[in-house]
Amino acid sequence: MTSALRIPDGVRLGGMLLVAVAVQAVVTSRVLVLGVSADLFLVLAVLVALGRGSTKGALFGFGAGLLADIIYLEPVGLRTFIYLMLGYGVGRYSEILGVASAWTVVLLTAVSAFSAELVYGLFQVLAGQPGSFWAMLQQQVLPAALLDALVAAPLYLGLVRLGMLDPPGGAGPSFK
Amino acid sequence: MLRDPDVRRRLLFGALIVTSLVLLTAFFREPATGALHGLQRGTLGYLTPLQSTATRAIEPFQEGYRWADDLLEAHSRNEDLQSELEGLRGRVVQLEEADQENQRLKELLDFREAPIFPAGSEFVVARVIGRSPTRWQEWVHIDKGSADGLKLNQPVVGATNATGDSLSGKGLVGKVVGVSDHAAQIQLITDPESSVAALIQQSRARGIVVVPEAGRLVMDYVERDQRVEAKQIVETSGFGEVYPKGIPVGVVQTVGEEDVNVYKQIEIRPFVDFGVLEEVMVVISPAVPKADESQMKTLTPADEPVATP
Repeated sequence: MTSALRIPDGVRLGGMLLVAVAVQAVVTSRVLVLGVSADLFLVLAVLVALGRGSTKGALFGFGAGLLADIIYLEPVGLRTFIYLMLGYGVGRYSEILGVASAWTVVLLTAVSAFSAELVYGLFQVLAGQPGSFWAMLQQQVLPAALLDALVAAPLYLGLVRLGMLDPPGGAGPSFK
Repeated sequence: MLRDPDVRRRLLFGALIVTSLVLLTAFFREPATGALHGLQRGTLGYLTPLQSTATRAIEPFQEGYRWADDLLEAHSRNEDLQSELEGLRGRVVQLEEADQENQRLKELLDFREAPIFPAGSEFVVARVIGRSPTRWQEWVHIDKGSADGLKLNQPVVGATNATGDSLSGKGLVGKVVGVSDHAAQIQLITDPESSVAALIQQSRARGIVVVPEAGRLVMDYVERDQRVEAKQIVETSGFGEVYPKGIPVGVVQTVGEEDVNVYKQIEIRPFVDFGVLEEVMVVISPAVPKADESQMKTLTPADEPVATP
């Protein structure tokens, strides 16, 4: 009799986060589409929240945001706070309504990215960052939301194929 | 109470919020040498070699992407430039056309300044809009008519590019033989029914320029004892009351004599190149000869000019 090696969930999520750091720093941040680059931390926070619910979503969002703050050399705690809220909110959504289809993932990612960029932009304006908020809305917020949503689709399908996420409409929004 | 998952979840969520806000506050309150700033710098120090290595690794792919992007852009730019080039070529053609037209009109204006035409003469510049379809007749239609002051038998002159021995391409074109309100028919001096009283400028020998056959312009009725040589200039003599005296007609090409003919056979080449005639100038002399009303020809619809290329 053999028993499959069970990796603790926290280790798997932590490993996923480290891989995200590497990919984000090395590849994703270098690829500009519509003038912006995708934010893997945010996308993964949304996907984990959809798959694991609000508690782990909030924890993953906190960790992803913290890493993003550190890597991007931004005020530590800002993205931490934003992604934490997103992880919790999206997790609560999945706990209550479930994930009906892959389109739900795409749509939720787009809304989450839009909200995150919007809050981040508002913080920048309040902090006295020069530049027009409306210009940033067009040049950063909307393209980033669109790009993150586009990135979320293949990433979500990839995680489903790897068995780390239930397919849409499955028994429940949980990672295997 | 802590065993209730909802309570635990909310407590955890609250704790994380507080932590993040504490982090944010601490970041802004600490100096640049603080722990959080130091953490960022330290992480950056670890990531930099990774990023450098990755940069070198993906550089060929980036170069390939840039090459493909540049290629696509060059292709697109090429199409744009081709389109622009075609537009500019069309514009150049238009400008060249306008330039040539200006040149011709300038020649005509220069021509009218020549001390040839009777004092007080007026000039109407007209565009050639139609030509005789056969060599049996040699005429052109112009876009000016009686509304512009044109009448029968008014002389018409023109200016074309100088050809060979000709002086300037400026010379006699013909006369008005038909007129309507806004168009007129001009009988060219190369028409078989045309006859122009002329003289040799140097010897003053008089004769009549006629067209014995299509394509030939001959000065007839010049006495054999008159001295005429090639390259001498033929101009209107003023006889006949149609053409004023002194309008250049052509250049003597050959001079022939026949035993059975009392007149010289003088072949001349007109100054004006009728094949490329595009504008003409109708000379309205102060004393225009009265046209015989019975010979007045009114253009019928069939005579209306038909534009030809």
